[in-house]
Amino acid sequence: MQIYLPIAEMSVNLFFLVGIGGAVGFLSGLFGVGGGFLLTPLLIFSGVPVPVAVASVTGQVVAASTSGALAHYRRGAVDLHLAMYLVLSGVLGAFGGVAVFALLRDAGQLDLVISLGFLILLGSVGTLMLVESSRAILKQRKGIVVRERLPNQHNWIHGLPMRVRFKKSRLYISVLPVLVIGLFIGFVGSLLGIGGGFIMVPALVYLLRVPGNVVIGTSLAQVVAMMAATTVLHAVQSQSVDILLAFCLMVGGTAGAQFGASAGKYLRGEQLRGLLALLVLAVAIRFGLSLVITPSDLFSMAVVGGMR
Amino acid sequence: MKRLVLLLLFVAGLLAPAQAARLISQVSNDSVEITSSFDGERMNFFGTIVPDVGSAEAITGPFQVVVVVLGPTQNRIARQMTNNFGIWSNTGQLEFKNFPSYFHVLSSGRLSEITDITTLTTNYILPESHTLVVNTDDWWRSAVYGQQLVRLMTEQGLFGVQENGVNFLSDTFYSARLTLPSNAPPGPYIALTYVFKHGAIIARRSEGFAVRKIGFERFLALSSTQQPLLYGLVCVLLALVTGWFGGVLFKR
Repeated sequence: MQIYLPIAEMSVNLFFLVGIGGAVGFLSGLFGVGGGFLLTPLLIFSGVPVPVAVASVTGQVVAASTSGALAHYRRGAVDLHLAMYLVLSGVLGAFGGVAVFALLRDAGQLDLVISLGFLILLGSVGTLMLVESSRAILKQRKGIVVRERLPNQHNWIHGLPMRVRFKKSRLYISVLPVLVIGLFIGFVGSLLGIGGGFIMVPALVYLLRVPGNVVIGTSLAQVVAMMAATTVLHAVQSQSVDILLAFCLMVGGTAGAQFGASAGKYLRGEQLRGLLALLVLAVAIRFGLSLVITPSDLFSMAVVGGMR
Repeated sequence: MKRLVLLLLFVAGLLAPAQAARLISQVSNDSVEITSSFDGERMNFFGTIVPDVGSAEAITGPFQVVVVVLGPTQNRIARQMTNNFGIWSNTGQLEFKNFPSYFHVLSSGRLSEITDITTLTTNYILPESHTLVVNTDDWWRSAVYGQQLVRLMTEQGLFGVQENGVNFLSDTFYSARLTLPSNAPPGPYIALTYVFKHGAIIARRSEGFAVRKIGFERFLALSSTQQPLLYGLVCVLLALVTGWFGGVLFKR
């Protein structure tokens, strides 16, 4: 069954859209990530114009993260104070990201920067996660009890000026690293059409030492708020948010996420992280190859400005 | 005086064949409506060649008919990738202003047999003729990019030439069929019909039709450009409600 997307101005199979939304939603529920880093490339590879894909996926990420964020909030696992700082700086970063997005699109370098961005970001995060999770799995096999990092273990980042107390996270740290993390994720997220959960969680855990029970909830709350702002920014600036496309992905995504979350209970944390690392690396390699392998078509075209 | 008569005779000689025949034509739909299930549309162009008003002589063939369908124009950029330090990136680009977003030629025979290349080019019947209007000092580059742009548009189904697209049902009555693809850009379209006889245009006619979104699709497309802020907020609200409802539905 074909459905016409009014902003992308093309017709796509409805089941295909709901299907990839569901498949990515399953993975995002399984690993507790937004899934934007999988959906945006999938849409681009299936012919949706790059600006429409990036802008519409931001809307889908909002939906995918909402139910998780609400569930964590009810359990009291969201540090709203910390999330507020992350969101404020994140929205600032998103302004920058959306502006750079428009500049790059006009200069014809958007595809290159998106490919490079995914390669560097996913490649480094994926490698780190793979190393960390395989170490944890090996240690457990040998019977060594893994000592959890203590939340009040400080490093030099915490000692920077402008300290603020985050009660729920039991932290008394400088806001500067918090703002830098928010700014960076806002910028990268709006540029690449990803929520940035897979960067946010390691950053909160390893850099800020946020305790494990509030990490996921805070990250999800931040993703919802920041991606909501980014969606509005994209809608205003590039007018490339396709609400029908986003809705089809949302329906598939929210349903898939529930099944993914139940499936996730059968796997241990480090196994999940290892699988996610492999997935992230696979996407990074795909983008890396597209930069190096001779493209099948050396020429491409784009429309500038609107219809006359 | 003698020169004037000669000139008049010459002008009359030029005009005579063009005035002898007239084209009556019709497009099957004067508007193509894009709905949620829009998957392309089949269109018919038909017409008949009749003697001009006041012309006593009977018209005789053989005629050839060429129908050119032009979509709304856009500014389009062709880009070329090259390999620098092992990485492929866009390095060259050329902008084609007012380039048609859709262009299909239907004809009753091989274009090269119907008329000469000059007539085809000056009347913009060949796809490549749309790429020749670029103002650039480097004509070789514009020719290469233009040719590649036409190829890309053809691969998308937006450009095409069907040299058996027009069928004559009698000596003077023809019909042509065109399937607009689902990615046909919305906007005003023009169908230009040329009647050729012995390589010269003896009659021509243009008709317009519109491809437009209607109903819900039109509403969405309009609100995304006219009320972008509201549109964005509604998107976010929809996402929040869908996400919340998904959570409630599956009791997470």
